[in-house]
Amino acid sequence: MSETILEIKNLTKYYGKVKGVENLSLSLNRGEIFGFIGPNGAGKSTTIRSIMNLINKDAGSVLFHGKELTRDDVEAKSRIGYLQSEVFLYDDLTVKGIFDHHENFYRNVPSAAGIHEKRQELVSRLKLDETRPIEDISLGNLKKVGIVLALMHNPELIIMDEPTSGLDPIMQNVFYELLREEKEKGNTVFYSTHILSEVSKVCDRVGIIRNGELIRAGQVDEISDKQLTFVTVSSDEVDALVAELGVKVLSREEDTVRFANHFPDDELIKKLSNYRIRKILIEEATLEEMFMHYYEEGQADGKA
Amino acid sequence: MVKRELKVNLRGFLIWTGTMLVTLLLIYLVYPSIVSDGKGNKVNEMLEAFPPDLLKAFNMDLAGLDTAYGWLKSEGFTFLYLIIGIYSCLLGSNIVLKEESEKTIEYLAALPITRRRVVLDKVLVSVIYIVSMVAILGIFNVAALNISEQPDNKQLLLLSLTPLFPGIVLFALGLFISTFTHKTKKMLGISIGLVFAMYILGVISEMGEQVKALRYLSVFTLADSRGVITNTELKPACVIVSLILFAGLIILSLVRYQKKELV
Repeated sequence: MSETILEIKNLTKYYGKVKGVENLSLSLNRGEIFGFIGPNGAGKSTTIRSIMNLINKDAGSVLFHGKELTRDDVEAKSRIGYLQSEVFLYDDLTVKGIFDHHENFYRNVPSAAGIHEKRQELVSRLKLDETRPIEDISLGNLKKVGIVLALMHNPELIIMDEPTSGLDPIMQNVFYELLREEKEKGNTVFYSTHILSEVSKVCDRVGIIRNGELIRAGQVDEISDKQLTFVTVSSDEVDALVAELGVKVLSREEDTVRFANHFPDDELIKKLSNYRIRKILIEEATLEEMFMHYYEEGQADGKA
Repeated sequence: MVKRELKVNLRGFLIWTGTMLVTLLLIYLVYPSIVSDGKGNKVNEMLEAFPPDLLKAFNMDLAGLDTAYGWLKSEGFTFLYLIIGIYSCLLGSNIVLKEESEKTIEYLAALPITRRRVVLDKVLVSVIYIVSMVAILGIFNVAALNISEQPDNKQLLLLSLTPLFPGIVLFALGLFISTFTHKTKKMLGISIGLVFAMYILGVISEMGEQVKALRYLSVFTLADSRGVITNTELKPACVIVSLILFAGLIILSLVRYQKKELV
């Protein structure tokens, strides 16, 4: 059985009367990359800021290796790397200055041994110029500095909020490679994003958050393979067909309809065989479509 | 952390201290011509026309304006209390809060360091700068006045220490108030307003028995320059109360900061 590194239990946070997250529970295992996806305002950053103790939880707890992660648990913090969605660093320093400053905090941390070598390797792979002042570097380079800061002390839990925003496609690939290497070393990554294609590229498991609630969590393949297909049918009897299947039509053009289908393929074919079908197209839902489907379903139910 | 904070806050310290040094230097340079040919006595005669309570409020009943030291004991220290007070209060209200205001707090909070250590390191650096400012200005005053006059050096040295007491309390007060907000912009007006309000209350409290109680609302009472000029000693009660207020406000700030939402 895999070792649980991070466990979030019944996390609830309200901003006044506005819900941030409610009763959110999930756990991360050693050596996995967990994708945390949801649209803007769904509660991703609230969850991360609660883990990092930047905000106060209304209820629930966050356990790191089974122990409550408190804001002053220096030992636990030394084993966590954090990349915020928007990187803000000290403008008066150069890139070298901020890395030196960062190293100073990990001098006596055994797990961070080799921090300087790791920094040099990351700087070289991400093609960073250490002589540049922080205030002069581009958004993409600032993100790269943030990535180095999150990884250089060899953390066993890496929490990243929208890590690829601002990175060019080449650097994105370098970054994915770095994440895979962290995973191979047995480190765990909590990867928050709203870019769904990233999740299928790098994540092992995924959690979908909507309106502050975790609506699904599971292996990426498992979620993609759920019995959801998109069917496009052209038939003279399209109205009767839709009525019998009881499906929600996504789009319609004359006698051609497209709908999301939950029936197993053989059952669907049997039902459709009662009608004269001119054309049929059955498409497997991508992760993006799965996400959109879950999200829209929630909206239709009045939950989102 | 301490090293970095010293570096970050050095520029502000140099600007504030340098400005005060230049101002004092200019005054000391031009003062001999102001009081030459008996003009100083005329100024003193003119002051006699002022209400005694007003003169008392600025120590002008104890020190004449016919010498630079006399000026320092009255108007000079008024200026120093105010400027050191504003510097200290602004330092207190900004030093921790700027991490939130400039959004570097998310980086800082992820480092293996406690919130208590963040605050205490910044307090240490601030105290170093406030003490250094008071010391530099004190040494400058002693050196400058000994060149031109024969001041009572013990009295002058003790007087030079007095801005420290309202200074550290105003620093701690600024720090405490800053734990209630997230933006340094808001604190600028609050800090300056607070220092001026306390200063005015301190002045008014010297103007009559009916308003004497107002002195307890002003931290400038803790400087007690009248006591030092009259008795050539620091009143132990002022020193103790300053230290208690400083420590109490720092503890309250730590408690508040521990629970504060940082983003």
